[in-house]
Amino acid sequence: MTIRALIADDEPLARALVRAFLATHTDVQVLAEVDNGLDAARCIQDLVPDLVFLDIHMPKLTGLEVLQLTGLRRGVIFTTAYDQHALAAFDLHAVDYLLKPFSQERFDAAMHRASQLLREGAPAVERLMAAQALKRVLVREGSELRVLPLDEVEYIEAQADYVAFRHAGRDHLKAQRISELEAQLDPRQFVRVHRSFIVNLRQLQAVERTESNGHAVRLRSGKRIPVSRSGHERLLGVL
Amino acid sequence: MHPLLKNPRGLATYLLAWVLAGCALAVAWVQAPAEWIWVLGFLLPIALLTGMSALSMYSICRSFPLRPAKWMSTLSRRAAAAALLALLVSGATALWNATGALWGRDGLVTLTPVAWLAFVGIQTVVFALSALMHDALLAQQAIQVATATEAQASLLAREMEIKVLRQQIDPHFLFNSLNSISSLIQFDPAAARAMTIDLAQFFRQTLGLGERERIRLGEELELVQHYLAIEQRRLGDKLRLSIDVEAACRMAYLPPLVLQPLVENAIKHGVRQLDLGGLIELSARHPGNRLALCVSNPVDALATRDATGVGQGLRHLRSRLQTQYGELAFVDVESTADRFTVQISLPWQT
Repeated sequence: MTIRALIADDEPLARALVRAFLATHTDVQVLAEVDNGLDAARCIQDLVPDLVFLDIHMPKLTGLEVLQLTGLRRGVIFTTAYDQHALAAFDLHAVDYLLKPFSQERFDAAMHRASQLLREGAPAVERLMAAQALKRVLVREGSELRVLPLDEVEYIEAQADYVAFRHAGRDHLKAQRISELEAQLDPRQFVRVHRSFIVNLRQLQAVERTESNGHAVRLRSGKRIPVSRSGHERLLGVL
Repeated sequence: MHPLLKNPRGLATYLLAWVLAGCALAVAWVQAPAEWIWVLGFLLPIALLTGMSALSMYSICRSFPLRPAKWMSTLSRRAAAAALLALLVSGATALWNATGALWGRDGLVTLTPVAWLAFVGIQTVVFALSALMHDALLAQQAIQVATATEAQASLLAREMEIKVLRQQIDPHFLFNSLNSISSLIQFDPAAARAMTIDLAQFFRQTLGLGERERIRLGEELELVQHYLAIEQRRLGDKLRLSIDVEAACRMAYLPPLVLQPLVENAIKHGVRQLDLGGLIELSARHPGNRLALCVSNPVDALATRDATGVGQGLRHLRSRLQTQYGELAFVDVESTADRFTVQISLPWQT
């Protein structure tokens, strides 16, 4: 079985080194090399590689964000020179990674572990991702992928099997369940105020009473969003 | 204790001055040669006593330092102390004069009531002056202490700065460069060697220059060249450079590591983030009596700016230049949609 691999690193020499270390791994076929996080996310979605060499520190999207946004959970080998926060998270969740500069032996060991996990799934990466709060989301705009900074998203609305991110007066759809998304967001900033709505507290203007003795939130844009009883409790809990 | 009492030579000089003052007064006083012995016998011990008593104003001045908010109470305390001391010394003077009886005289000298009044007055003035001089002495001591503290503080600040400079050596940069070298060893050993040397020179100079207060711009540029050579290998053709330095500027002095962090920012937050990279422009000019530096880089017009790193670096640079030049250094930042420019203007020093 050939392993189809993607190399994501913004430095040409670093990518060349991974290719060189792969020379002895004849079962690996390199599908593509990319030099930024957004292209990495695109390639992961379009080419569906078995194995990704993923640098943490890349332009546009970090390696961790690439995983968050693509939902990729297996077949990842992180490479990094020095990212204290990421390394602490890796150690916490027992995720394997390659510290630059690394040796052929260390590289081979990581390959060995990764190819085993390819078949079994990687609970460590799953745990790591569960612990990261989402900061940006990847949405499709026509055939193009676009990155939305969540800070600038006003609210999120469930629409059947999709969620719609309201950003700069426009809705951006993404195929995801709202409860699944809610779990990935920072609970201090994003509150599920209603079965169908999550609001960004940074955009909050006021909490109002409705005529029927319920609640609603008014956002800076003037938009009013209904608040359920349990949603109101969650809101009070955070505020 | 009074500082003079700890200094025998100073004390001797001080008392000698009082003896001379006594003698001077005697010269004015004596009219007949026969009186010399009596007048001197009377005046010299009193002069010494006055001198010693004047020193006691020191403890008054120290216990009740002059404060603008309480000048009434501090001044009245000094006046009361001076008058009291004058009375005590005058009493002692009267007793001393009375010892003239041992030689069968009314007193060592003859003093009229007016003379007594003048005597007490002079004593009061002497003690008041003494208070004044001690206040001046204390103020000077306070200034000395303050200066010493300030010198120590600036020394500490400098040590801190060197520490910060050392921390500025970005571990991310170091380890990524080593990774690049590790890669080059296989494909281009000569380039690997060149990069090793650039990296070594960069670190050596950063450590060496960081410890000096002023360096020539030429030295800083050399450091920047090593840094750029490394980055150019790492980024390939993404990094393009235009360096334009007036020849005279190379000899100008400035604090170390002013340009390097700017160039580092220009790469990290500018060129690196762009798909196609871009051009970094670096220039140094000598307009009038100033040194004008400029670093400019393209930025991604579409990306949301993560300016925290840039802001911190610039704040740090601003405060460094301000502590060294005060109001004479300027740092101007111009940020447009697709370009970021930092201009620095310093007094010209060669």
